[in-house]
Formats: sequence, structure tokens, C-alpha cells
Amino acid sequence: MTDTNDSADQLREQVRVAAHSGVPLQISGGGSKSFYGRATVGTPLSTIAHRGIVTYDPGELVITARAGTPLTQIEAALAEKNQMLAFEPPYLGESATLGGAIATGLSGPRRPYVGAARDFVLGVKLINGQAEILSFGGQVMKNVAGYDVARLMVGALGTLGVLLEISLKVLPRPATELTLVQHRTPNEAIEVMNIWARRPLPLSACCYDGDGLYVRLCGADSAVRAAHDKIGGEILTNAQNFWHALREQFHAFFDGPLPLWRVAVPPARPSLRIPGKWLIDWGGAQRWLKSDTDAATICRTAAEGGGHATLFRGGDRGGYIFHPLAPGLLALHQRIKNAMDPQHIFNPGKMYPNL
Amino acid sequence: MQTTLSDSLRSTPLGQEADSILRACVHCGFCAATCPTYGLLGDELDSPRGRIYLIKQMLEGATAGQNTQLHLDRCLACRACETTCPSGVRYGRLLDIGRAAIEQRVRRPLPEQIKRHLLRVVIPYERRFTVVLRVAQTLRAFLPPTWRRSIPPPQLPTSWPRSSHERKMLALAGCVQTPIAPNIDAATARVLDCLGISLVRASGGGCCGALSYHLGAQEDGLEFARRNIDAWWPHVESGAEAIAINASGCGVMVKEYGHLLREDPSYAERADRISAMAMDISEVLAKENRAALAPAGIGTARIAFHSPCSLQHGQKLAGLVESILESAGFELTPVPDGHLCCGSAGSYSLLQPELSRQLLLQRVLALESGQPTAIGTANIGCLAHLQSRTSVPVRHWIELLDPGASVVSLRDEGAQVELTEPTTL
Amino acid sequence: MGAIMIYCPNSPPGKTIMKTPVTNVQPRNRRELIAALQRVLPSQALLSETEDLRPYECDGLSAYCELPMLVALPDTVEQVRAVLVACHERGVPVVARGAGTGLSGGALPCSNGVLLSLAKFNRILEIDAANRTARVQPGVRNLAISQAVAHLGLYYAPDPSSQIACSIGGNVAENAGGVHCLKYGLTVHNIQMLSFLTIEGELITVGGAALDAPGYDLLAFMTGSEGLLGVIVEITVKLLPQPERAQVVLAAFDDVEKAGAAVAAIIGAGIVPAGLEMMDNLAIRAAEQFVHAGYPVDAEAILLCELDGVNEEVSEQILQVREIFQQCGATESHTARDERERALFWAGRKAAFPAVGRLAPDYYCMDGTIPRKHLARVLRRIGEMSAEAGLAVANVFHAGDGNLHPLILYDANKPGDLERTERLGAKILELCVAVGGTITGEHGVGVEKINQMCIQFSASALAQFHALKHAFDPRGLLNPGKAVPTLQRCAEYGAMHVHGGKVLFPDLERF
Repeated sequence: MTDTNDSADQLREQVRVAAHSGVPLQISGGGSKSFYGRATVGTPLSTIAHRGIVTYDPGELVITARAGTPLTQIEAALAEKNQMLAFEPPYLGESATLGGAIATGLSGPRRPYVGAARDFVLGVKLINGQAEILSFGGQVMKNVAGYDVARLMVGALGTLGVLLEISLKVLPRPATELTLVQHRTPNEAIEVMNIWARRPLPLSACCYDGDGLYVRLCGADSAVRAAHDKIGGEILTNAQNFWHALREQFHAFFDGPLPLWRVAVPPARPSLRIPGKWLIDWGGAQRWLKSDTDAATICRTAAEGGGHATLFRGGDRGGYIFHPLAPGLLALHQRIKNAMDPQHIFNPGKMYPNL
Repeated sequence: MQTTLSDSLRSTPLGQEADSILRACVHCGFCAATCPTYGLLGDELDSPRGRIYLIKQMLEGATAGQNTQLHLDRCLACRACETTCPSGVRYGRLLDIGRAAIEQRVRRPLPEQIKRHLLRVVIPYERRFTVVLRVAQTLRAFLPPTWRRSIPPPQLPTSWPRSSHERKMLALAGCVQTPIAPNIDAATARVLDCLGISLVRASGGGCCGALSYHLGAQEDGLEFARRNIDAWWPHVESGAEAIAINASGCGVMVKEYGHLLREDPSYAERADRISAMAMDISEVLAKENRAALAPAGIGTARIAFHSPCSLQHGQKLAGLVESILESAGFELTPVPDGHLCCGSAGSYSLLQPELSRQLLLQRVLALESGQPTAIGTANIGCLAHLQSRTSVPVRHWIELLDPGASVVSLRDEGAQVELTEPTTL
Repeated sequence: MGAIMIYCPNSPPGKTIMKTPVTNVQPRNRRELIAALQRVLPSQALLSETEDLRPYECDGLSAYCELPMLVALPDTVEQVRAVLVACHERGVPVVARGAGTGLSGGALPCSNGVLLSLAKFNRILEIDAANRTARVQPGVRNLAISQAVAHLGLYYAPDPSSQIACSIGGNVAENAGGVHCLKYGLTVHNIQMLSFLTIEGELITVGGAALDAPGYDLLAFMTGSEGLLGVIVEITVKLLPQPERAQVVLAAFDDVEKAGAAVAAIIGAGIVPAGLEMMDNLAIRAAEQFVHAGYPVDAEAILLCELDGVNEEVSEQILQVREIFQQCGATESHTARDERERALFWAGRKAAFPAVGRLAPDYYCMDGTIPRKHLARVLRRIGEMSAEAGLAVANVFHAGDGNLHPLILYDANKPGDLERTERLGAKILELCVAVGGTITGEHGVGVEKINQMCIQFSASALAQFHALKHAFDPRGLLNPGKAVPTLQRCAEYGAMHVHGGKVLFPDLERF
């Protein structure tokens, strides 16, 4: 843990100047996920120098680290104590930082079974639009004092403040993991995934890539073996590579120039009728789509299916990216933005125009 | 909770009792969860916690008027809240104190007074009630169906065993049970006879007093208690071992005689003894070797048991009858929300017909949900009330154990009930 | 910066640090408001006579009372909207209330405001077994949800001790936890969608039927906002499969510190129990009197450790946990014989608060959370402070997540007792903050811990809270005076508590 550096004061100064001049800032960490969200312009503000694990107490199941800390460093420190970030943050690039993982709020394959990034955030330290350094939440498991600004920051794409430090709940690594493969049709796969999810099985990931239905079990050795007997299927060797490739979008499905859509629907929803190539993750709750179908059609179909669609990669980064909000909700977003960042200096337009 | 009862009130035994009950309450609100009226109305004032507060403010000298009276009237006195209360608040007792207090403060409208007076001068007196019941039964066929349903059809009395055993237990003469369902006492006597016990009816006894006592006429209620004590006492002295009560609503009252008459020097001691001897018939059976009982018609009989509030909450005997029936070989069907009142609750069905009807419908749906052959219960009020809304025969559970009866024959009676309205909420 | 603009004129007893009378509702206006509300509510749904209002003057924290101006009992969303619009137009504060079981005075009424009861909203609207969700009204009782889906093999995980009575709307407003949140999370982790009305009467839906809704995570932000941001009218909760097996181990200790060490050892062994609860001797005795669970009444502390999941895993972990208990010096430990006994073990724990009502007429419940490693030290200090104050403290806590519930026993009828209790409570909470914890883990700030907010948060963080509140409720009409103190209040509280630069607990390491 020698790789630490506190540059909060410099970051704060940069925010102060921007607030004064009204020139927007473009916040970045390692840049691994800079493609995500809408394209923005502004003076670059990098958190990469503000790095290092501040405290890590395995007995408390809590880690606190600066936003610029590389995810690799955090995960290595946790692995040493046989613990993990249970939401399996996608890196999407080796330079990924903790700040980026939290600002994008993305989660990996384990998400439907243990929770999303936001579920593990216990507290944050941030710089608001008035260049004040503020702490919210804490470093304990339960804390309901004050509004939950810490979770509000998760997935806000840096539009509400500059993350300085994040405290996360961590979990022990499971003793055993086992991945099974079954061959199913898409709708069969969706049905089976949801039947499993209703039963007390030690599931930790469930994905269908158009060919195989992959299910990951975790826990005590005996528990995993018992679940294997109930579910059936062939054991996948090299399973870690499979789930890593899925999380990092190295899986062959993600190849090719077509835009990549993330469609979130209620997990038991049968296949959506949008032309393109599908990969079903999160036990049916997250569906990746490679398609050049127009945004309006995808958005409408997702909504009709009870969900929403995000243009994750590719396509027109200045057009439709995130599912539109209802007018009242959008207005509320704008008021929240004004409350945190009255000068609109943080990543303006990154999530929605005028936000 | 903090209380500020006036010194003058706090110096009376009743005031002290009320104060100690109020102070045991920590206002957690758990009680509301199992309160039937709060479940229907969703108003704090119709929950035990709200009523406790209403009584508290009245005893603390704040204005208490018709609204307080209304919400206290709406209470079923089912005491489900007492079962739920972790702090041990004796709500039922506080309610009696509160009702007596509001009765003194708020004059009811004349029609209401007349109605209550009529209930008090008819129901607790077996002969008067019998006359009214027989007239109603005669007119039954000519009445509109909704009225007809609430009048139980006549039941022929059955014979008591002739044999006399050394072991004797006393019966409560009671008021409405014999005119409506004379078979219950006879069946009880026959079941006890099988166990080598004679059930004795003491002359001079009558109503247990609960109806009057809970209708705000507490002195009347105590007078009934004294009469029963007088009637039983010679038998107690000559060795009767228990008072075996087969109406749980009466049982809970008799068990409280000792407490209620503790300030009456000429009755306190005897009342205490009587209360100690009072047992629900299920408590009696639970202690006996029941091998000699061979109920007819088991095998095919699926019983839904409606545990009266006075049994499960008042006497805290939840589960006892069920275990007796199961060990006798009956199959018990599941009854959702079995802690809830059927809406009979003494005179409640007559004084709060709308709430009573809603609770009855809920209960009948719950009881019928397991498709039982018969519904068993342990109190005459619940029995008649439930039977008014279901075509499944409703019986006192002791009748199911009666060696002289067959469960199959119960069907005929159920079929007489005409249901013109669907049983839905 | 948008500070709260309207305050309850009467702060609760003992908290009378500032009074800002902004009563803009005169008797004539009250009559006009009543007339307006009578137009939108059924006749029985508006209470205005003192006799009827009095039982609404407090929630589960009866030490603080305030008579509301009116109580509204709507039973449709349209009625709620109409009440809010009428109040907003007239600048009348609104306090929403569910089952009134909260322990922080979050539903304490405003004397110049309307208390809006949502208790009539007690219907489960839809159960979606395939997607494992239930859509419910806010007045539905927490336990009623699990009961309604039990036949599907599902349940709703958060189980506050008051789950028999507390409403799901209140759970969301307070971000309620429970004995099983160590493994299954708080309310925020177990809900998926919320609909709420703003004070202006606009219906807003956040979250969704699908995971990770677009935009800011307002689902999380609304959760635990203590009724200051909107009035929740519908909730979609997540349902989990009932575990194949759940088993509880009870261990007794002759020393509270040994029990604390056992807690650390279990977590350290990589076990995440479904629940890990501690009770001290006073609490054990009170609970035992009510449930007769067979708790060892002479133990200084007991731990209840629940393990759930796949049968084989539970068996393995029970052995592990019992071994740990033994190593940590448990005087006895045994596993619940059957489901009945397991339920009984928990029934005692869940009824522990009100059961303490058997030991003293009143109790004052604290809710601090601390890093687990300080458990033994904080308990010792609480014991010392309790002795100094001459007030007994019963300790009941979610040891697994470091969430303490010291119950200060007092007698509200004794003059001065409540004030001494409040002072002791404040010191306990400040101790929690000093060791790196928080003043409230799951009960909410309400009115009870409002002063301690000044200690946990900087002035600029509090100002940020006010700005966010302003984004939802610019006139500050929703539940005024709760959850977030004004800066002025903090200044006055600080002046009272820090004399001559002396800080509380100077001996403790600061975080």
C-alpha cells in the first residue's frame, strides 16, 4: 500500500476555479470507461493522482480508498485477506479506478444475487459544486443519519460532485465456485434461470450466450455439490475465464462494429422482439443487444417489456444514450443537480442534456 | 408511558389499577397489528393503543365525549392485543374501567339506552331469552332471509347420562346456551360420564354476568357472579372438584370473579376459590386419560377449529382444543389469521352490526378455506354467529367427541341454513 | 441555500433549544383548512377534535408529544394528493405517518400541521412470483408481506423487531433494518420501485420493475429520508426464496466482552450469519418473562447466531460457530431443537424492547452503530456512564453489524428522569461517533437524535442536506424539524456542549 497520494486540495482548488469561472470540468479517473454516457466537453479534471487505500480492516468487512485507486490494487489487497468486492465491478480497461467504478455504478455477473455497486457503498467523501469537501454515510454497516448522498453519487456519472474517497462493504470469498453449462433455447433459458432464482440455491451468476446456459454456484463445498445435483449440467473448466470475459466484454458476443445496447427488464420477461444478437445476463435481468435497430424502437420495446435501454457503446454518443425520464422526474433531477452543482460545472450533459 | 392521573383518582383502588396498567404500556404499537377493528378501519383510535390513550386522557381529566365512547364501543374486547403485547398490558381490564368511566360521563341517546337496557334485561335471563327465541323461531319462516339467518333453528334437547359417579364437576347454568343449543351441555355431561365424572347442575345459578359487566352495568354483572357463587358453594363444600365450563366467554368471566369481587368482604374469599376451580372443558379433558372416548365419524371428518377470543386470548388456552381434537383422530384444516375475532363478541353483533358482519365474513372465508366437514368452536356466541353465515355445520367441539353423536348427522342441520348472499367480502 | 423555512413551533420537551414560531395558520384559517379538507376526504377521515387528536400526538417514542392541528386518514392516492395540495397552497406542514411504531419520533406531529396517516393503505396490490416482487401500499405491515408470499416459498427479508406491526412505508422512510440485515441488507437493498407524491401533489416513480433504473438513484435517496422529501404511496419490494434451512445457535457468556470477542471471531472466520444478535442480562430477563424461550437468565450476555442457506452449508457452519463459541469461553451453547424453538428464540429477541417495559415504566432506545472492534470498549463505557447517571441500561443489539440498541430505563412520572435520560442518551451517541460510528443505524434521526446530527456532520454537509431538501420541498412543509437540524440549532447545541474548547471523550482516538 505504498502507492498512495492525497491530492484532495489540488482537486478542490481546480473545482473552486471552475465554479468561479463557470467553465465546466470533464472528470476522469483511469479513462477506462470514458466512452460511457454522453460525450462532453470541458477542462479535464483527473482523480488519478488521488489514490491509495486509506483504511482496510478485514474484521470490519470495510475498505476505504481514494477515488483514483486502481481497482487492481483494491482487489489485490482484498484477495490477500480472502475477501472481495462482491458486485464484481467491470473494469473495461486495465486502468480502471474505484472512482470510475462508483461513478458509473456498473456491476458484474453477481449483481442480481448479492447486489449492485450502490448496495455496497457505505459512505463517500466528495467535493461539491461549491468546492466544499463533504463526507456522507460512514464506515459502518448501517447508517441512516442524513439523506443517502453516498448512494446518490453511485451511477451519477460525476454530474453531482467529484468523488474523493469511497467506503465499501466487502464480503468473504466463497470457499468454492462451480460453473455448470446446459444447452437451452433462449426462452427456456430465461424460464429456467427464474425458476432457480425462486429456489434456495447458492447462485452467484446466471447467463445465456445464445448457445449455453451458464450457471455459477458458490459457497461451501458441500452446498455447491448439493446444488449441482439439483440443477444438473456439465462442469465448465476454465470458468473463471468465462465470467471474466463476460464481465470485461471480451466474450465473442461483444465483437463487431454494431452498437452495444444494455436492455434491463424484469428477469422473467420472455425474449424481446428486437432484431439483433442477444446475450442474457443477470438471470434474465440484463440483456445485451448488438443491433443497429433505431434507438426509438429499442427504447419503446424495452419500455413495453417493463424495462429500459441504454446505448452502452458505439452509436451516436451525442444522441440517445440513456432511457428518457418522465418530465416530473427529469425536473427533479435538474433540481438535485442544482442543489449539488449550482454552476453546472461537473460533467454537464454526460447523463442527459441540461443535467 | 407517563401518566398524570389526578391524586383523588390515584387514591382509589380502581385508579391505582388503571394507573399501573397504563404505565405498563410503552406505546410500541404491536397490539394494533392483531386488532380486528384496526385491521378494518385503519384508525389509531380503533386500535388498542389508541383506546388506551383515549382512556388515559379521560382518566387524566381531559374532555372525553361521544367520540371516546364510540371508539370504546367499537372494541370487541377480544383481547387479541393482550396475546400480542410484550409488555404485559392488561388491556381488557383497562377497557372495563374505561367503559365504566365513559358511561358516567356521556349520556347515550335514548334509543341506544333502550336497546342496551333490553339486552341487559333479556339475554342474561334464560327464561326471558327462551320466550324471545321461541317467538323468533316461530316467525322464522316468514322473515326476510337476512333476518332469518341470524335466528338459529330450534334444537331438540338430548338426554343427560343417568349414572352417578364419585367424581363430580359443576356446570354453569348460563343463559343463552341452553335455549339455543341444549345439546352442548348434554354432550359435555356424556363425555365426562365416559371419563367417570358426573356433571352437576346447581340450582339457583344463571348467567355468568359477563354481558352486563361488559355493557357498562358492572354492578349487575357482579350480582350475577354472586348468585352463581351462592349456587355452587354447597357443592364445592361437599367435594365437587372443578367448575367445568363449556362456553369460553363465560369461563373467562368466572375465572375473574376473584379479582372482580376482591373488594367485597362477604364474597372475596369464596369468589377467589371459585375462580381457582373454574376450568374450561378443554382443560378438564387435557388432564384426563381420554382413551375411553371413542368419537364417531372420525376418519371422514375434517374440522376447522375457530378458537374463540375468550379461549385463546382471554383464558390463554390457544392450541389446547386443537391438540385434543388431533389426538382424538380428527384432521384439522388450516385457518388463516386464527387469532382474529368472528365478530360475535357478546352483544357486539347486535350493537355494532356492520363491523361484526365484516369480521364474520372474513372469518367464515378463512374457516371454509380448508374445505372442512364441520367447524368446531368453544363458545355459544361464536357458534350461533358463524352458523348464520355458513352452510358448513358449526358445532361445539365437545359435541364432536360425544360418543352419542355422529359427525355425519351434523350435515343435515347445516343444510337448513339458507344462504342467499354469496359469502364474499 | 434553501434552509427549512417552517418549523414546528413547539420542540419536544427537553429539546427546547430553539423555538421558531412560524405559525401562519390562525384559528380562522384552521376552519378554512378543515372546510377544504372536508371537501376532499370522507367524513370519518378527518379528525379535528382534541379528544380524537390526542392519541395521535406521538409515535413509538412516547416521550415526545405534540398535538397535531388535524389528522387526515385518506384511503386513495387521489385523496392524499388533494390533502397535500390543500396544505401546500396554505403553507401548512404535513407529517406522514404509517403504523406509528418508529422509535425516533419521526412521525411526531406538528401543532400547526396536518398529520397524514397512511394506515388505511393496507392492501397488497400484486404479487409477481416469477419476477420475485410484490407491489404493496405503504400501510401494509412488514410481516404481512412475508405471510402473503409464504405459500410461494418466498419472503421479504428485512425484519425489524416491530415487523408484526410496522408498515412498509415507514420502513422505507426510515430505511429500517432488522435482525437479518447483516446478510440480507436494509430496506434500501430490498426494494425496487417507489411511487411518491411531492408536497405539490406530483406523482413521481423512481426505480423500476427492471434493475438499475436510469438517472440518479433516487430510490436509494428517498429511502431513509424520513418523510422530508415526499409521501410514499406505493412500493415494490423484492422477495427472496426462503432458505432451505435456518438454524440458530444460542450461546451464553459470563462476560459481555467475551461475547463481543466471539462476534469478531465469527466474522473473522469468513462466516456471514443471517443474524448475529446480543442481549445483556437485563434484556435477557425481560424477554424471558414474556416468551419463556428458555434463555439462561443468569448469563451476562447471550448471542443468537442464525445460519441459513443450503442444508449442508448450514450444518458445516453450525459446527464452526459452536467451536468458536467454545473457544471464546461460552458457558453454554446449544442449537434450537426444532423450528418451534428457533421461532421462540427470535420471538424473545424481537419482543425485547417492549418487554423491557416489564422492568421499568419507560425506556429510551438508542440506535448507534460502531465498528465491531470497539464493541467491548463501548459497552464498558456505556456501563460506566449508566452507573454515573444512576439509570439502568439494558443492551440489545445487532452485534453482527455493530448496531447497538442501549435501552435506558427510566420513569417518566419522576420529575427530571427524562432529562437525565436524554443526557445519557446523547452521551452514548456521541461516544458512537467518537469511535468512528454513527448516531443511527436503522431507526432514523427523527426528532430524538437531531442534536447529535450536529456532531456527526459538518456545517457544510448539513447545508448540502438542506439544499437537497429544497429540491424536493422548497417551502419546507414536509415533516419540518426532523432529521436534519438547522445550522442555528447546531450552533446553539455546540455552545451548550463544548465548554472552553473541551471536547467530549478526549481520551478516544478520533476518526
